[in-house]
Amino acid sequence: MSEQPMTEHPITEIDVAIVGAGPSGLSAAIELSKLGQKNVVVFDREAEAGGVPRHCGHTGFGIAEFYRPMSGPDYAAKLVETARRHGVTLTPRSSLLKIKEEVLTFSTPEGLKHYRAQRTLLALGARETPRSSRLVSGIRSPDIITTGALQRFVYLHERAPFKKAVVIGSEAVSFSALMTCRHAGIEVAAMIEEAERIQMFKPLKNAAETLLKVPVHTGVEHIVIEGEGKNISGVTIRKNGTETFIECDGVIFSGAFTPEGSILQTDVPDFNLRNHSSNVTQNYQTTNPNIFVAGNALRGALTAFKCYFEGRDAARAIHASLQTSKPLRTVSIEADDAIAWHTPSLIDLDADHPRLTTLRFRRSTRGTLLTLLNGREVMRTRIDAVPFLNVTLPWFDQDVKEGDRVELVYQEE
Amino acid sequence: MKPIDLNHLFSPKAISFDPDEVFDVAVIGGGVVGTGIFREFALNGAKTLLIERGNDILEGASKGNSAILHTGFDAPPESLELACVKRGYEEYIQLKDELDLSFRNTSAVVVAWNEEQAEKLEAIQAKGFGNGVEELDLLDADQLHRREPNLSSEALGALLVHGESLIDPWRAPLAYLKQGIAAGGKTAMSHEVTGGHHTGEYWELETTRGMFRAKTVINAAGLYGDIVDKIKGSEDFKIIPRKGQFIIFDETAFDLVGTIILPVPTKITKGVVVTPTAFGNILVGPTAEDQESRTDSRTVEETLEDLKAKAYQIVPALREHRIVATFAGLRPASDEPQYRVMVNDAANWITVGGIRSTGLTSSLGLAKHIYELHDTHYTDTPPPPPKVTTPNISVFTPRDYEQEGYDRIVCHCEHVTDREIREALRGETGAGTWGGLKRRTRAGMGRCQGFNCAAAVAEIIEEEQGGDHV
Repeated sequence: MSEQPMTEHPITEIDVAIVGAGPSGLSAAIELSKLGQKNVVVFDREAEAGGVPRHCGHTGFGIAEFYRPMSGPDYAAKLVETARRHGVTLTPRSSLLKIKEEVLTFSTPEGLKHYRAQRTLLALGARETPRSSRLVSGIRSPDIITTGALQRFVYLHERAPFKKAVVIGSEAVSFSALMTCRHAGIEVAAMIEEAERIQMFKPLKNAAETLLKVPVHTGVEHIVIEGEGKNISGVTIRKNGTETFIECDGVIFSGAFTPEGSILQTDVPDFNLRNHSSNVTQNYQTTNPNIFVAGNALRGALTAFKCYFEGRDAARAIHASLQTSKPLRTVSIEADDAIAWHTPSLIDLDADHPRLTTLRFRRSTRGTLLTLLNGREVMRTRIDAVPFLNVTLPWFDQDVKEGDRVELVYQEE
Repeated sequence: MKPIDLNHLFSPKAISFDPDEVFDVAVIGGGVVGTGIFREFALNGAKTLLIERGNDILEGASKGNSAILHTGFDAPPESLELACVKRGYEEYIQLKDELDLSFRNTSAVVVAWNEEQAEKLEAIQAKGFGNGVEELDLLDADQLHRREPNLSSEALGALLVHGESLIDPWRAPLAYLKQGIAAGGKTAMSHEVTGGHHTGEYWELETTRGMFRAKTVINAAGLYGDIVDKIKGSEDFKIIPRKGQFIIFDETAFDLVGTIILPVPTKITKGVVVTPTAFGNILVGPTAEDQESRTDSRTVEETLEDLKAKAYQIVPALREHRIVATFAGLRPASDEPQYRVMVNDAANWITVGGIRSTGLTSSLGLAKHIYELHDTHYTDTPPPPPKVTTPNISVFTPRDYEQEGYDRIVCHCEHVTDREIREALRGETGAGTWGGLKRRTRAGMGRCQGFNCAAAVAEIIEEEQGGDHV
C-alpha cells in the first residue's frame, strides 16, 4: 500500500479549528456562527458528525438545549442539522495526528492535510477505561468490551455479541449498559462494583435488582475473568474473603471515563491527564493561549448538555480572544489527590474571576475542603460528596496575583 | 436482535492441495520457528507442508513476546542457542532489506541498580566478548543518564550492547510464510496433529481434519512439542510452559525511552525489560512463571501491579502515562534449559523443541541449521527467493493512514484504515483469527481497546468472510 500516490497538500489558513463534532464542538461552532465568526472549520474523525450520542439509545438528551427529550441519535442529528443551518463547515473523516506551532495535521482519505488555525478548540470527548488499563485478572477474549463498544454493536449494527453478561461498574453509563442489554435481549447476570456503594443514586440499586432482576454486588475486592481459550465461562468475584462464581459469556467494563486522544498529553503544553491540574482557565484556554479545550476531553463524562454549554462558552471566549489578543497570565489551582478533576484548574488573571469551581471526588466521602492561597486558608467548605455528582465551590473572593499559589486540600472526617 | 459470535467469526481455512500428495517435509507448528523452517525447506526445493492447529500462524507461544532482535551477548556460551541466535540475527539483517521488514537498532543497556549488580557488568561484558559480540561498552552513571535521561537517577551504570534491535515480531513470520508459499509450500491451518505412523515409505500424520503424508516430519509444535514428539515412538523431553505477563504503556510514553532497558540477570530469571516497541509504545515485562497448562495465559492483577511498580522504579515518568494493554505469553521451555534439537534420520523425524525466549531471533538461523543437519538436497539449483510483501504496521516507516485513497480510519487509536483491515483478511495468508487480524493491522490494540472499533471491525470480518457466521 506504500505505493499509493502521496499528495502534498499546502497549509490552509483558517481562523478557528474545532476538533470533534460532538455536543461541545458543534455547540461551539453554532455559537461562533451566531457571533459572526468566519472561517471556522469543524473536524471529526468519524464519517458522521454527532459524537457519542449517536449510539446512546436511551432518551433524556436535549431538554436544556432544544426543550424536549430525545434519544441520543435524534439529539446528534438535531445538533448536526442546527450546525448546518448556521452554515458551519463540517469536515468528517479527518483524524488529528499532531499540533505543532499552530499547524494541525490530519489524516484524511485525500492524504495528509495541514491547517494553520489562529485558535483551536479541542473537543475530543471521552471514552471508557477498558479492562486492560484496570489490570483486571483473567483470560483475554473479544467478548470483553466496554459499554461504548456494546452500544455500537447494538445501536449502530443491531447485533448482540453475547447472551449473558456481567457489567463491571455502577455509574450512570453502567445502568445505560443494563438498558442496552435489555434492548438487545442480553441477560445480565450481575452488576459488580468495587466501591462500598453504587456510583449512582442509591435507589437505582433496588431498581436494578427488582425491576431488571440484576443482582448488584458492591464492595467487590477482586475480579477474575474465567474461561478456556478465548471463551468466557464466567467471572469470579471475591468479597469479604468469599469467592463467588457468576456464569456469563460476556463482560462489559463500564464507565471510568477518561479524555480521548493522546494529543492533549503530547501536544498541549502543561496539560495533565492524571490530576487535571493546569488544564484550562475559566475561559477554557490552555497555557498555549491559542489552544482551548472544552467538553469531556477535560475530564470524564458529564452529560451532553453540560458539554453543549461548555462548548458555547468556549466559543465566546475564542471569539473575544480573536478581537483583542493579549498575553496570558495564569495561576494554577493545584488539587488534592482525593479530587478526580476540577475546572477551571487555571485562573486567567486578566479575565473575570471564575464564578465557580466545579470538581468531583474520586470516592464517596465526608470532610472539609480547604482552599489555600499561598498556604493560608481563604475558604473552608463542608463536603458530603459522591463521585457521580459535581461539587461546586464559589469563588473565594480574594485577589490573586502572578506567582501566587492556590491549593485545594481535602481533610476527610 | 441478531446474535454475533465474536469467537467464531472466521471459518476454518480450507486446504488448497490434493490431500493424497506425498510431501518431502511436513513441518508441524506455525510459530516463528515453524514458519522459518517451512520457508527454508520450500526455498530449497522441498515439497513442504506446514500444519498448524490454529486457524492462523502465531497462535501459540509466538503471539506474545518482547519484540526484540537479540545479539546473543548473554546467550549460553558455545551453545546451539547462541549459534542460532547469532546466525538468525545476521539472516534477519539481510532479509529485512529484501523483504522490507520492520527494524530499528536502538541498542540495549544492561542497567546496574546496586553495587552488587555493578560489579557483574564486566563479567557480562566478558561473556559477550566470548560470545563473539564485539560492541559492548561499559557506561558510568553520567554516560548512562545522558543517553537515557528519563531513567531513574538510582541507576549506577550499565553495559551498552550495540545492535539489540526492535522488530515487528508478527510481520517477519508472516513474510517467512508468504515466501515459503510463493516457493511452492502448502499450508494446512486448523489441522491439529493427533497421531501418525511410518509406512516404511513415508509418515502418515493424522489430524483433526484428515491425513497428510510426508517423508520427513519436523516437529516445531512449540507448547505441544513433547506431545507431538511421542508420535515418533520415544519420549525425549517435557515441555514446561513458562508464562510471561506484560504491560504496555500508551504511545504518549514512547519518547521516554530510546534504548532497550535490561536488568542484570540473576540465576533464576533474565528479569523485567522496559523497551520501546516497533509499534510506538513502551513494553514492560515479562514475568517468568512455570506452569502445567499449555493454554492458560491469564493475567493476574497483583503481578501486573508489581510490573507497574517496577516500571515506575526504572522510568519514574511512566507514572504520567496510561497503561493501554496487558497480556501474557507462554514460552515453550522444557525440562532442560537448552534447545532440544534432535535429528533422528532412521525415523525421518526432526525435533525442534524447547525454543523458549530467543526463538524470534534464532528462527532463521535455526532453520538453516536444521536444513543442513537434514542433509538431503531437493534441488541443485534453487530458484532465487521470491519477493513477497507484507504490510507495515510499525512506526518506523509510513503507515497506510499517511497515504491517500483509503475510505475511513476504523481503529482511531492505532489509525488503522478499512482497506488495511480488508487486505489483511484476504487470501491464503489472510488473518484466520481475530488475534491474527490484530497482529497484521493493530486494529483494537490501542488505548481504547475496541471502545470505538470493535463493532465495525467485526462487521468487516463478516463481510470479508462472505456470509453469516452466527
